[in-house]
Amino acid sequence: MFKDFKSLLNINWIYFFILLIIFWVGEINLYSAAGGNLEPWAINQMKRFIIFLPIVFFILLLQPKFIFNITELILIAVMLGLLITLFFGYTGMGAKRWIRVGGFNLQVSEFAKISLVIFMAKYFHKLNAQKTIGLIRSIIPLLISIALFLLVAVQPDLGTALIILILGLVAIFYAGIKLIYPILSLLLIALASPFLWTLLKPYQQNRVMIFLNPDLDPLGKGYHIIQSKIAIGSGGLNGNGFLEGSQSSLDFLPEKETDFVFAIFSEQFGFTGSLILISIFLIFFLIPIFKTFKLTQVFNKIILFVLSFKIFFEFLINVSMTIGLLPVVGVALPFMSYGGSSLLSNMIICALLMNLMSVEEKKRMFS
Amino acid sequence: MEKNKASQDSIKILNRRSFIITTIGLILSLIVSIRLFSLQILNFNFYQKKSVENKVAVKATAPLRGDIFDNEKNLVAANASLYEFVIYKNLNKNYMDEVSKLNKLIKLDLKISNISEKLKSFNAYTPFILSRANWQQIVEFEKNKFLFTSVKIIESKKRYYPHKNLSQIIGYMGKSSDDKHLYPKGVFHLEKTYDELLQGRPGKILNEVNSRGKVIREISIEEPIKGNSLELTINLKLQNYAQSVLPLSNKGSIVVLNRFDGSILSMNSNPTFDAQVFEDRDNDTINSLLNDPEKPLFNRAFTGFYPPGSVFKPIPALLGLKKNMINEKTEVFCSGSTSLADRNYYCWKKGGHGIVNLKKAIKESCDCYFYELAKKINIDDLSDLATNLGLNSTYNIGLSNAQKGLIPNKKWKKSNLEQGWYQGETLITSIGQGYNLTSPLQLASMYSALLNGGKFPSPKLIKNEPSKYLGEELNPNDQKAILNALKAAVQEPLGTAYKLNLDNPNFVKIGGKTGTSQVVRIKEEDREDDLYKTKEIEDRFKDHSVFVGYAPIDDPKYIASVIIENGGSGSAVAAPIAHKVLNFAYQENV
Repeated sequence: MFKDFKSLLNINWIYFFILLIIFWVGEINLYSAAGGNLEPWAINQMKRFIIFLPIVFFILLLQPKFIFNITELILIAVMLGLLITLFFGYTGMGAKRWIRVGGFNLQVSEFAKISLVIFMAKYFHKLNAQKTIGLIRSIIPLLISIALFLLVAVQPDLGTALIILILGLVAIFYAGIKLIYPILSLLLIALASPFLWTLLKPYQQNRVMIFLNPDLDPLGKGYHIIQSKIAIGSGGLNGNGFLEGSQSSLDFLPEKETDFVFAIFSEQFGFTGSLILISIFLIFFLIPIFKTFKLTQVFNKIILFVLSFKIFFEFLINVSMTIGLLPVVGVALPFMSYGGSSLLSNMIICALLMNLMSVEEKKRMFS
Repeated sequence: MEKNKASQDSIKILNRRSFIITTIGLILSLIVSIRLFSLQILNFNFYQKKSVENKVAVKATAPLRGDIFDNEKNLVAANASLYEFVIYKNLNKNYMDEVSKLNKLIKLDLKISNISEKLKSFNAYTPFILSRANWQQIVEFEKNKFLFTSVKIIESKKRYYPHKNLSQIIGYMGKSSDDKHLYPKGVFHLEKTYDELLQGRPGKILNEVNSRGKVIREISIEEPIKGNSLELTINLKLQNYAQSVLPLSNKGSIVVLNRFDGSILSMNSNPTFDAQVFEDRDNDTINSLLNDPEKPLFNRAFTGFYPPGSVFKPIPALLGLKKNMINEKTEVFCSGSTSLADRNYYCWKKGGHGIVNLKKAIKESCDCYFYELAKKINIDDLSDLATNLGLNSTYNIGLSNAQKGLIPNKKWKKSNLEQGWYQGETLITSIGQGYNLTSPLQLASMYSALLNGGKFPSPKLIKNEPSKYLGEELNPNDQKAILNALKAAVQEPLGTAYKLNLDNPNFVKIGGKTGTSQVVRIKEEDREDDLYKTKEIEDRFKDHSVFVGYAPIDDPKYIASVIIENGGSGSAVAAPIAHKVLNFAYQENV
């Protein structure tokens, strides 16, 4: 079940340091979001990080084979968790998204992403003899993706649900489904979208309209986007400087510690800082990707690729939200948004990635 | 081996797919970067402006209004403290409860629902003015202060007018109609005309505020600058004295002019009002003022227009002299009436004046002399000369509702009455009746023109305003003839105002002319009626009593123009008042 302790030394240290850098930037950002105060966010996030570290070590030490064996268990556990959330969940902000576990409010949907990817990795690993994957063989992963999507969507948490669905689709695509199917489905969606639009309720259509033009409702739903764009735009080339972001310190920016942390960062550090942050996340994304080219085991490849993609993808979605490219759907900025579940799940993901990046592959690794 | 081969192909597919997805990921990051470039570099100025607009709140602070002084530096308009009940929404969540409590305790008569509505959208950190507070209310509030957390009393400024008798000149302040003005502005008379000069420059406090409008810190303070002060030509002593000699029983007015520079030394109108009521928001008094049929807001010296009566006679006399229609020796026989085109025109003196020359005609105010002269006069020439000598002109002295009055001519009659001019109307016009309308200030200016030899300084109310000269030069001999006659009217027996010397022999010696301005045109048959002569005609149909005089007689400086509405003859009522005022001005050397 466990690897040798010495194998901890073989982890990809560069990747690990980049992780620490990103987390540290997030800490500084939370510190500035509180107006130059560790309380209430930076200190709490740091405590969580420290508390979660043993879990990271635990995962780093796991044999990939062990993980391979328990994928179904994890999936079932997560699905149960989602069901518990639905029936006994803790309601906040108009949605049932959390269950209380040992003093923490756990957002199970965050872990659904991991379990889905691991499950798919095993599923396609087993199919690895097949040259290409047809529609029939994709049906099980597709159904499971849709099941998880629905369980999360009804909370309601459309943002997380969509991420789950997209990760599922990316995994299927990566695993090698015939190109004709994704192309066909994209065409279908494109053709059906006018019809889908009429299916939306008026308030949902209204939300989309406000996203397209926030000035329709500058004090209501458009307020977030407008203020976020002002914060980012006023950052300019080099930013207003550390702790000098007025949009943040004067509370013009709502939800600045969660969904809009990027706006706080960008207001202080400007276009230059933002590009540097994007580059850091890009490198962080590409390190596991490059590793996948050297790997032959489908299980390893899918986990490394899709989970690394997940972090980068969430980063892009979050930033796109804050700059008005996407509607505000509540996707956290990995390692930088304040929140335990997102931090824990991303730490688990990174532990998994570091674990798999450090294994010496053998031919019959998972048989 | 087969399987292995297939597996390797499958790995290749994965790597190819990896390339596709990674490329999509890179494209997405590029899009995000371009968007950031657009926000932070291309539209930086726009968003920076928005950010500043978000956080900087500009608060204007009212400047002190400039003081107004009389010509001896006595304060006649100043600033006084004012206390107001205000509420700060941020200090108590249930602020409306406190408003109701205050309303009950102090009996402020607030409109609670109205205030509640306004407060809903009001900034929580800015004081909202509930009501003014007088001393009793302040004391009552202080006793119960512990009941309130969000209600406070703040001090601000209001206008203070210590002398009621200047209200007709200074005017008053009112709420500004446009929203840009945060504080009251002058809305009447000098307060209005010189508002820009008096108002000063508001201060500016730039505050950094958070999203709820709470002030985080002061960025900069620009102190308000007090408005410029204004020095009037009015002499407070004379103004008060003149008001005191105006009879309370009749409407009327007095203007005193310095003929050397046109300074208006006093300008009174009765009834008058107290401008302070507008500052004190005494609504009952304000409403009764606005609706009073006696029109106390109406400055009769400036905006009251009446037929001048006989005080107008120097003008046709000057025209006759100028056109050589008459000379000083020309004599006319006054039988009490004359006729023109089958109509009779009567002298005020029923038996007539007998043989009349120019001096006697003015001194005794013979109408017939002027009727005979007027038969030769072209009305347009008369109107032009009168206009040159200060009548029929608008004086922009800073008071509201300036008007021109009227000395008729042919063109005026054609365009206003659509009728041609009759020479008979020239006869009536030349004795100051008919269409003529002049204000007491215009009459004072006309006599200033006579005394100054035609060119006279335009009347003014502001001390350091340079004097503007109006009018046209008179022939000195003509001027002398007129002044001689005006002197005789007061100084020689049979003069219409000779009685003044007998009544007050110690007063300064004056010259001048009496006038009786007819309110209703007297018909021929009424003339014969005894009723007309008795004092029992209804008051409102009585003639206005007019007098314009000047003193001292040898080197005149002061001109007083008096009208007493429905006062009767000029010699009986207006002349003694003018004499008193001229004497006061002379004795006090104002």
